[in-house]
Amino acid sequence: MPLYHAAQSIEASALGQAIRESTWLFPAIESTHLLALALLGGAVLIISLAVLGVGLKSSPAEIYKSARSYMNGAVIVLLLSGVLLGVSEPVKLYDRQAFWVKMISMAIALGLTYFAFNPMVRRGSTGLRLRSVTLLTMGAWLMVAMAGRWIGFS
Amino acid sequence: MLEGLVTKLADTPWSIELHESLYMYAITESTHVIAIMLFVGSIAMVDLRLLDISFRQVPVSQMLSKMLPWTVAGFVVLAITGAMLFLAIPIRTYHSLWFRLKCVMILIAAVNIAIFTFKVERDKAAWDLGPVPRKSKICAAISLSAWVCVIVFGRLIAYNWFDCDNINSSTLLQLTGCPADSG
Repeated sequence: MPLYHAAQSIEASALGQAIRESTWLFPAIESTHLLALALLGGAVLIISLAVLGVGLKSSPAEIYKSARSYMNGAVIVLLLSGVLLGVSEPVKLYDRQAFWVKMISMAIALGLTYFAFNPMVRRGSTGLRLRSVTLLTMGAWLMVAMAGRWIGFS
Repeated sequence: MLEGLVTKLADTPWSIELHESLYMYAITESTHVIAIMLFVGSIAMVDLRLLDISFRQVPVSQMLSKMLPWTVAGFVVLAITGAMLFLAIPIRTYHSLWFRLKCVMILIAAVNIAIFTFKVERDKAAWDLGPVPRKSKICAAISLSAWVCVIVFGRLIAYNWFDCDNINSSTLLQLTGCPADSG
């Protein structure tokens, strides 16, 4: 199991040890992760509501222009803080089903966001296809958040 | 008096069942997190508009009327799941320093919302698309900072640094309402 060995060596790394041994580091990174999640929720929500016709009246493309820096910033902070959290306990994560559910739904959510939702909104698409993509994208991110919280329980 | 109430709460079958359930507690926590995305996410977008930083092409009145219903929906879910999380672990949460600080921040945010709603936004027709007045920017800044604190303090409730059996200082004992002999 090369993946399991990789997890073991990451766990033994200096960075992993430093985060594990500090009292405040893990909670601080966790809180940052959660704050970025809230920001991502807001950015995705404000664009999605406009697409679905239940939010702001400006065109979704225009709202996207204002919201995208928050979306991208949130995604970057989420990825960085998420990696740090993972580096501190990779062996535990390897065994958690919720972690793998989160990784798979995250890949789907990122793919939907950056290869379908964002380009379609930018292009000014309308109609059933965009609305379906919007609902799927929101659903995928909700799944990521749920599975993420579940890692702590499973 | 509160102490007695919380102790009684902890003895109810609802509290015990929530605490001991295999999935219900995890489902409640996860729903709480999703509702944070809806609630804090939407209120952050409104605050960024009120700070005149983003969404400047959107009238303030429209931002408030179209986004705040979602904020309210998020709050309802947060309040219900939050109450359930408290019910599951009443005594420890009641004495938690982080929980108490979180409540203070929620109170500050609530007063801020009241001031914004009843005073600051009254003349918003005058600045619907123009420059946002300072009073509104101050409210938005307080709101953003307060909710950031609420999220962080809420996350920290899970940590036992200041639990009753881990503290000795008289200030902490007073702030957490822990019995003096618990340390």
